[in-house]
Amino acid sequence: MKFQTIQIQNQTFLLHPTGAMFWKEKNILLIADLHLGKISHFRKHGSAVPQEAILKNFERLDAVLETFTPSKVCFLGDLFHSFINNEWILFSEWVSRTKVELLLIVGNHDIISPLKYEEIGIKLGLELILDNFLLSHHPEEREGLFNFCGHIHPGVLLEGLGKQRLRLPCFYQKENQLILPAFGEFTGNHILESTKKVKIYAITKKEVILIN
Amino acid sequence: MTQKELFTIAESWFQQQQWKSFPFQKQSWKAFLQGKNGLLNAPTGSGKTYSLWVPIVLNYIKDNPDYQTKHKKGLKAIWITPLRALSQEIKQATERFAEDLNTQLTIGIRTGDTSQKERAAQKRSMPDLLITTPESLQLLLASKRYDKTFKDCTAIIIDEWHELLGTKRGVQIELALSRLKTVSSKLRIWGISATIGNLEQAREVLLGHQSDALQNSVLIKANIKKKIKVKSIIPKEMETFPWRGHLGIHLLDEVVPIIKRSKTTLLFTNTRSQCEIWFQKILQKYPEFAGEMAMHHGSINKETRLWVEQAIRNESLKAVVCTSSLDLGVDFAPVETIIQIGGPKGVARFLQRAGRSGHQPGKTSVIYFLPTHAIELIEASALQQAVKHNTVEDRIPYLNSYDVLIQYLTTLAVSDGFYPKEIYHEIKSTFCYQAISEDDWRWILNFITIGSQSLQSYDEYKKVEILQDGLFKVNNRGIAMRHRLQIGTIVSDAVLTVKYLKGGYIGSIEEWFISKLKPGDVFTFAGRNLELVRIKEMKVLVRKSSKKTSKVPSWMGGRLTLTSQMSELLRKELYKASSKTDEKKSLELKALSHIFQKQQEESIVPGSDEFLIETFKTREGYHAIFYPFEGRFVHEALGSLLAYRISLLFPISFSLAFNDYGFELLSDQEIDMQQVIDNNLFATDHMHNDLQKSLNATEMARRKFRDIAVISGMVFTGYPDKMLKSKHLQSSSQLLFNVFRDFESKNLLYQQSFIETFEHQLEEGRLQKALERIENQSIVWKSCKKATPFSFPIITDRLREKLSSEKLEDRIKKMVALLSKK
Repeated sequence: MKFQTIQIQNQTFLLHPTGAMFWKEKNILLIADLHLGKISHFRKHGSAVPQEAILKNFERLDAVLETFTPSKVCFLGDLFHSFINNEWILFSEWVSRTKVELLLIVGNHDIISPLKYEEIGIKLGLELILDNFLLSHHPEEREGLFNFCGHIHPGVLLEGLGKQRLRLPCFYQKENQLILPAFGEFTGNHILESTKKVKIYAITKKEVILIN
Repeated sequence: MTQKELFTIAESWFQQQQWKSFPFQKQSWKAFLQGKNGLLNAPTGSGKTYSLWVPIVLNYIKDNPDYQTKHKKGLKAIWITPLRALSQEIKQATERFAEDLNTQLTIGIRTGDTSQKERAAQKRSMPDLLITTPESLQLLLASKRYDKTFKDCTAIIIDEWHELLGTKRGVQIELALSRLKTVSSKLRIWGISATIGNLEQAREVLLGHQSDALQNSVLIKANIKKKIKVKSIIPKEMETFPWRGHLGIHLLDEVVPIIKRSKTTLLFTNTRSQCEIWFQKILQKYPEFAGEMAMHHGSINKETRLWVEQAIRNESLKAVVCTSSLDLGVDFAPVETIIQIGGPKGVARFLQRAGRSGHQPGKTSVIYFLPTHAIELIEASALQQAVKHNTVEDRIPYLNSYDVLIQYLTTLAVSDGFYPKEIYHEIKSTFCYQAISEDDWRWILNFITIGSQSLQSYDEYKKVEILQDGLFKVNNRGIAMRHRLQIGTIVSDAVLTVKYLKGGYIGSIEEWFISKLKPGDVFTFAGRNLELVRIKEMKVLVRKSSKKTSKVPSWMGGRLTLTSQMSELLRKELYKASSKTDEKKSLELKALSHIFQKQQEESIVPGSDEFLIETFKTREGYHAIFYPFEGRFVHEALGSLLAYRISLLFPISFSLAFNDYGFELLSDQEIDMQQVIDNNLFATDHMHNDLQKSLNATEMARRKFRDIAVISGMVFTGYPDKMLKSKHLQSSSQLLFNVFRDFESKNLLYQQSFIETFEHQLEEGRLQKALERIENQSIVWKSCKKATPFSFPIITDRLREKLSSEKLEDRIKKMVALLSKK
């Protein structure tokens, strides 16, 4: 898998095809919109989404952790899709296997009690400011801070000759903001406009490609 | 009472109405009273309701001689109609006979429009005759102790069976009937159908494959021949007539004199948006029609629709612009003239519409055909032939619709539960599931109980539970409620109601159209220009706007295709055009001579022994157009097949477009057509296998999967105004399709989407025959300088499929390179 390296305010960030982003100097991995438990939630309500997709999320998590060996993982919200269900057990098992520090910036889907997270050793916060960077779930604009966030599930629509069209998830970077793509399986994306002022990095299963 | 005495009762009533009974009516009475099932082939407006309602009443009289004084309560007959709009009409007709005979029989309607209160009252005490829709019948099966409700039912009539056959609502009916045969021991099953090509098969689908009911049945034909005259509206100046388009507005001035000449005219359009536009444009240009003209389509509210229907009967309207919403039922004597705007795509539909005029016996029905673009005149010419030779197409019934079966089994589990052994036997006797294997059956039972094929420890799937005695049952109230809401939503997009800010319901509109509008945008709906104020809880709030320009919703669906019969007629007409002499050429073809000339200059007009391929380059890329003239469905399959085979030769990406005449492969690189011809890519060998692979490559199945996911309850859509708090349960069928592709490609529902893409609509062997025909033709490849008249309607089609054998990353990089050049 090929990733892209970008510089923001003299800091180095590696964009990974899974949608995760590694902050090199701080040794932190950022992951947005995992939506764990979504498949189980559907199944619990009578919609038979394939179970195999549940395990895929954890496989991908393990793979990025192995690639970057961060000291800390920060989830930018919507970590767990809905109420507690059996996927929580799988998640707790994964947490106990994982030796790194875990932090969750709470998103609109995160309705599980903070106590539950603390029980398994995950710290919670509404936002996090590190140097000149603001980590949040919803996109934020704040004087003097560069914002990393999720929530949107950004996607890009590409058009080519011969009426070709492609729709891909992407990293979406504005002057003072970078929106991460959704990391989870069984999550969709929302097409954002590409203008001269933004940089878009489309992701495929193998590569991260700068669009403009 | 003897049959003779019973008949006398009916006959004397007919005499009181100053009617004479038709032979087919008496045949139906007799067969019904003998306890037979059957299919009645009779057109609208022929008195078909009395062919079957009369014997139902007579049968009651026979069993209850003191019928005038004592009323035996309970459901005795069910009348199924595909359109709610028709139920009122049927109620009036049946009530008239029941009342005149002092039978005390009651008649009730139960559809989506029926209030909760009335439903509850019906549940306590059913009317003697229940008029309902396929969905509402399913809902009855989803209610507790439904077997008691249906126990003494003597008859079920499926009206307009031809409309249901070939749809999944038809499959719903097959399944409901398979259950009713068991719970209602005295049941007779009757269908009423307009003329279609496969009437015998229609009877078998209705009554069950090799069933006892089929053994004990009759097929009765009314044999009422209607005289139909088809007139094409040929533009005075062919030179300025457009090569493409689908509206036909440029012929508006030719239509007006026709409307003025006749008492009442119905203008049939193919889509609701076309209907809206025509209505607006006529009023804009001819304001004198205001008050004398109306519009009728499925999204307009019920009151308005009923008002329009009544106004037609009162002769207070000069013209009504409508869609297929006025195809069925309702008898409109004053209608003198029909205008069909754009190709009707099928002979049966065209004939049915023609039959809406000239209801007086012996009168000729006149139908005008208005082409929306030049090539459609060939279609007009083919329609003339079809009417002349009485060619009518088949309606192809569905086979193995797992989605509908899953919905049905859940329905039974929601009401009283079911034992698989009993139900397997029943569904196996239906036409749709005659070939279902025990493995598939087990798969489906696993699917509804454990949500997959093997039980996993951490799984919490919940839908149907298996009780100790083996009863399959839904116990969870939330699941039961969601399922009931879902039953009615076969194949429709999420629908929002359109209302004025101050209140007042205008109609309903598909969500995907509204989602493209911003507050303040103006759109045309129900003939009015409306400004979107906001969207709130599945309601679109609007106010009137005086703005002239507006967006018109283009409703999805309604993409029809030529049937094989029509395609053949079309080809024959076209081959006539290629001949040098004017002999045998119809008026329409002669009018097109200037287009044919243009086509000839740039390319050729193919004859019966030629297969034409055109290639040319435009700003959009390299176009290759193939002309099999086989109708859209065959072209979809053929186009995908060919694109797939070419993509094996070298990495290439295609965008595919299809219409009834041919298909286009568009690419950003030139296709080596000589190599295509040399490699004999039209060969029939490995056809089936290649087609399967092309399906995977094009993802055409994706679109089919949407309905399947909704019907089988995988995607929850809810109902307008009844939206549940289910935000965390919202997902798209697209996402679902992806997870199945990646994780569970053996899933029968996922597989079904592939089978339905080609096999359902594609009559057995039609593709094979097309390929064989092409093999015997000589391929004429024309490298053209620019787009030809024939190619125009295809290359401008925006609904496209894609197929690629290039690496995704390479495609992205090409697109990026293109962007940077801009």
